[in-house]
Amino acid sequence: MGTVQIRDVRKSYGALEVLHGVSIDIEDGEFVALVGPSGCGKSTLLRMIAGLEDITGGDILIGDRVVNDVAPKDRDIAMVFQNYALYPHKNVRDNMGFALRQRRVSRSEIQRRVDDAARILGLEPLLDRKPRQLSGGQRQRVAMGRAIVRDPNVFLFDEPLSNLDAKLRVQMRSEIKELHQRLKTTTVYVTHDQIEAMTLADRVVVMNSGIIEQVGSPLELYDHPASLFVAAFIGSPPMNFLEGDFLDATTFALADGTRLRLPTADPKGRQRATIGIRPEHFTIAETGWPATVSVVEPTGSETQITCRLAGKVIRVLIRGRTATRPGETIHLAVAPDLVHFFDAAPVPAVAEMEDVA
Amino acid sequence: MSSPAVSLPRRSRSSLATRLRIAGGILVSVIFLFPIYWMILTSFKDQVDIFTTPPKFFFTPTLAAYVEYMKRADIVNRLVNTIIVAAGAGLLSIVVGTMAGYALARVRLRGAATFGVVILLSRGVPPIALAVPMFLVARKLGLIDKHITLILAYSTFLIPYVMWLMRSFFMSLPRELEESAMIDGCSRYGAFFKIIVPISLPGLLSTLIFSMILAWEELLFALVLTSRHASTIPVAIAGIAGDTVNGANWAALTAVGTITVIPVVVFALLVQKWLIKGLAEGATKG
Repeated sequence: MGTVQIRDVRKSYGALEVLHGVSIDIEDGEFVALVGPSGCGKSTLLRMIAGLEDITGGDILIGDRVVNDVAPKDRDIAMVFQNYALYPHKNVRDNMGFALRQRRVSRSEIQRRVDDAARILGLEPLLDRKPRQLSGGQRQRVAMGRAIVRDPNVFLFDEPLSNLDAKLRVQMRSEIKELHQRLKTTTVYVTHDQIEAMTLADRVVVMNSGIIEQVGSPLELYDHPASLFVAAFIGSPPMNFLEGDFLDATTFALADGTRLRLPTADPKGRQRATIGIRPEHFTIAETGWPATVSVVEPTGSETQITCRLAGKVIRVLIRGRTATRPGETIHLAVAPDLVHFFDAAPVPAVAEMEDVA
Repeated sequence: MSSPAVSLPRRSRSSLATRLRIAGGILVSVIFLFPIYWMILTSFKDQVDIFTTPPKFFFTPTLAAYVEYMKRADIVNRLVNTIIVAAGAGLLSIVVGTMAGYALARVRLRGAATFGVVILLSRGVPPIALAVPMFLVARKLGLIDKHITLILAYSTFLIPYVMWLMRSFFMSLPRELEESAMIDGCSRYGAFFKIIVPISLPGLLSTLIFSMILAWEELLFALVLTSRHASTIPVAIAGIAGDTVNGANWAALTAVGTITVIPVVVFALLVQKWLIKGLAEGATKG
């Protein structure tokens, strides 16, 4: 049984608590991504599941067994590291067979399972090479091969694609997804890249400063972000935010006095709020919020327009092409159900560091 | 891989730079090798040829010093002693020092850093200050003039040395290597012996060579802790140089010196090939 239960797990280094009570239930065969900015505790949590970090408080169960005090080798897990951690003195075949040899699996069985994994991953011609003779993408594949020959209860991935270039990252991402659909092994996947999390996972756990901000399917997070942090973190380009006061149900005044008419009222009836609208949810209309265009970036299938509304930078993403030129004034409209309301607060910095990596 | 490719227009300049570098290399080699050359030359001279001014570069070589001193100073026996002590101290230090260095590099222990520094600082004590206490302890234990005594005495300064060298080597290895091994079914000891030690072989080997050379040439403890049975070559050389009765026999001195150097050179040449091969493996990059 490949379930993983994380029950009120805490982690402290001395007096410093870095995980403040985290609970997640992961079902058998599920692909769960832990995502958040660096230092949010996602890797620490993964390493605690692996048994590489002690658990300060709470319980972690793999299957029905509490594994808090179980050694990593006895947890029946396999892990893929960011730097792959291939054994440099062993060739690809021995790297992949090492775990089975530790478990005293017979020579012929090891051979069969390594060959199977190599076939799945297209590693057959490389089996006799040393890691240093492989490209980054091949090393990544060997690291995955080393995990799948084990046929473990749970796969753990710690930022496995971060060391690859952008193109290879996209390719390996779909390979990982395909592999999961084929093997259906429970997977916990740590990444700082929200797109990776969204595209791969059945469920995404958004973490921030040692707590869970929200757990949900990728589209739930996109459609109904529970907090300003999640709203800022999920989606690319990031959501636009405006802070202001409600003069009446649908009249929203920004700091400089600019009044915007909202298509809908805040369901919670706040006096002061931060509203969020995704770039792709704006439409250019005859009437609406007036904004001055500063940059137009066509990519063919869509066009990103950067404009200024009451001095604030607003990003707009429209399908297809536009004749709009910098310096012009456009009018922005948005559908009622696509406006998000949050308690007024400064926008988390994560929105700015989008896609840096 | 890291050396920049030489582009054509810069060829003349870089060939000049290359020549300068080669000339510098030759100069340094001459400075280092001349004393050894002079020692070997002297060992084949007759006593009368040694002190001529200007020094003689051409003379009739003689093996007299070798033949005479082989008998007189019990050189074969001392050579065997030196090999036993150097190999014993080198191996003991590499085993203990490597494991200690690994612990300091990886195991989270309260006060581990302080512990490491204290061990290193203990090397700040001049060996001469330790020689007499060590002699007294050895005598109490009945260990005077035994191989094991020198092996243990040398380990006191070799273990800290190995420990610190290997510690920084281990710290340069990615932690994930052991973590991966531990997930793959190893205990920490298993990960250390099956993954870390094989990867570290080149580093281990060069540390072992240096340790053995340090033990090979050590004089002070050998002088104090041994007399006849376990005495080593450096003691013999010191004996010849400090012979106040007959005066220093320079031919004999350099002959014994040459005999001392030969095993080290042969050993270094033997392991060199292997050492370079090991380094070329590119151990640290997964």
